[in-house]
Amino acid sequence: MRIPKRPFWSGTVTIGLVNVPVKLYTMTFDKAFSFRFLHKQDGQPLKYQKVCIKENKVVPWEDTVKGYEVSKNHFIIFQKEELKAAEPQSSQKIRIEKFVDYLSVDPIYFEKSYVLTPDKSDEAYSLLLTALQTMHKAGAGKITLRTKEYPILLHAYNGALVLTTLRYAYEIADPSNFEELKELKEPEKKELDLAKKIVTDLSGEFDITEYKDSYEERIRQLIAKKMKGETIVVEKPVKEEAKELMAALQETLKQLKEK
Amino acid sequence: MSNLENLTKVQLTNLGKILYPEIGITKAQVIEYYVKMAPRMLGFLTARPIVLTRFPDGIDNKGFYEKNMPLGTPSWVHTFKKYSETAKREINYVVCDDLDTLIWLANLAALELHVTLSTINESEKPDLVLFDIDPHPPANADDVIGVALLLKEKLDALDMRSYVKTSGKKGLHVVIPVVREYTFSQTRGFVHQIAKYLSRESSIAVSEFSRVKEPGTIYLDYLQNSHGRTMICPYSLRATPQATVSMPLAWEDVRKGLKPEKFTLFNVTEFPSNPWKELIENKQKLEARINGKPGRANPEKTVLERNSNNRIS
Repeated sequence: MRIPKRPFWSGTVTIGLVNVPVKLYTMTFDKAFSFRFLHKQDGQPLKYQKVCIKENKVVPWEDTVKGYEVSKNHFIIFQKEELKAAEPQSSQKIRIEKFVDYLSVDPIYFEKSYVLTPDKSDEAYSLLLTALQTMHKAGAGKITLRTKEYPILLHAYNGALVLTTLRYAYEIADPSNFEELKELKEPEKKELDLAKKIVTDLSGEFDITEYKDSYEERIRQLIAKKMKGETIVVEKPVKEEAKELMAALQETLKQLKEK
Repeated sequence: MSNLENLTKVQLTNLGKILYPEIGITKAQVIEYYVKMAPRMLGFLTARPIVLTRFPDGIDNKGFYEKNMPLGTPSWVHTFKKYSETAKREINYVVCDDLDTLIWLANLAALELHVTLSTINESEKPDLVLFDIDPHPPANADDVIGVALLLKEKLDALDMRSYVKTSGKKGLHVVIPVVREYTFSQTRGFVHQIAKYLSRESSIAVSEFSRVKEPGTIYLDYLQNSHGRTMICPYSLRATPQATVSMPLAWEDVRKGLKPEKFTLFNVTEFPSNPWKELIENKQKLEARINGKPGRANPEKTVLERNSNNRIS
């Protein structure tokens, strides 16, 4: 399992007049492996550059502005300062505004999770954690990370306070807008009973460890092999494989001729 | 020492490419498989238009159906032109008449070869009648085998010689070779009648498309007996993680407990005999079964009566 080395953010959880100093660590990781692009010839790392489409020349950072595409190829231009002024004030605070049932929030809204650890004193942290744990409640509030303000939930998970950033309502498609879903037929009772029976028969406890990422496993094995200097299947010399193929071809040609 | 170029006119490419990532099968191994199976497959494939399912980037990536001959088809590959009512255009089907064509198809990563039920000689008159026995979960392999054996019993009672193979997935295919005298509508009608009969004999067999999705049922798909529809070719690979094969079987080997998924690229070449070898020479007539006997308009009735006083020897 991965443990990030450094906190990603530090500040305080604020509930009314109470402050709980915390550090924030990244908790969710999107990719099993991240690869870097290298130059094929000599293995040197490659970097990204912004290239002007018209002149085909690299444009330095200070010569860039941001454009919002109003219609095809028509942009409204923003200077960096203009966007900067619109950004939310960054504060080192996680403001909790109310407490809700954690399970009442649909996971559709969940974006990323962070582990909170106590910063300096752990009394206030432990108090908040225990209260949330025993009441099965989560704090709802907001945090500003870099240049964006997020709705958040704060809940107890495996003996830690965990903060989950949420998506805004506008970031979620509303299924009721899909034409196909507007006039769904009511199922017949007999069919529904059968469906319910299948659901009951297949009911069980959810266990995430039952799911294996075969790509991740394969890449991990390949990395282990490469570290030991072994050649991997993809690099198996084509000639070796062609040998078996050739033997099969000769045999089949012989058989077909005998017919 | 000869080299590959002297043995086949196909320019083989990307031999090391992995087509079945789960078990690491390369394109070279797929070509080798088809080369080894060619003596068993070519007799069946001859003069039969095929539809390809290609997986150029391996089975974990989306494959695609190809009815029309692929771009860059070499001039020595035989094709068959036919106007498609559904596509509203002419389709140039590939016909796999020789070893080189089979190798060429394998090199295109055409893992699955689907054949039509009629040949280019008379494409509106099928020479194969297909019972496609397809389970819907939680029905399992044993349930499929149960229905197949019931079907076999029925066909035996009608004095019809039938052939069976795994679909390479969950189902079984039972095929009767017939003389080229019937239309698809007639063969379809025949299969439908038998399927209806079986659906009354068995609690899980269903004969109607409207009931296909019912869990735990076994569907006898008579609609496959239509122009332009196809069946997976015997010994064709399937795009399944374990590289399963559509395996022709001797009826004696079709018993409960048989695991259709055990036939794969790795072991099929070791089964020496081809239970479907005589299939093409065993063309049969359906007449009595299609039209019923004089005075008996209902062919179903014929089927039932014959069964009751005609025990299988």
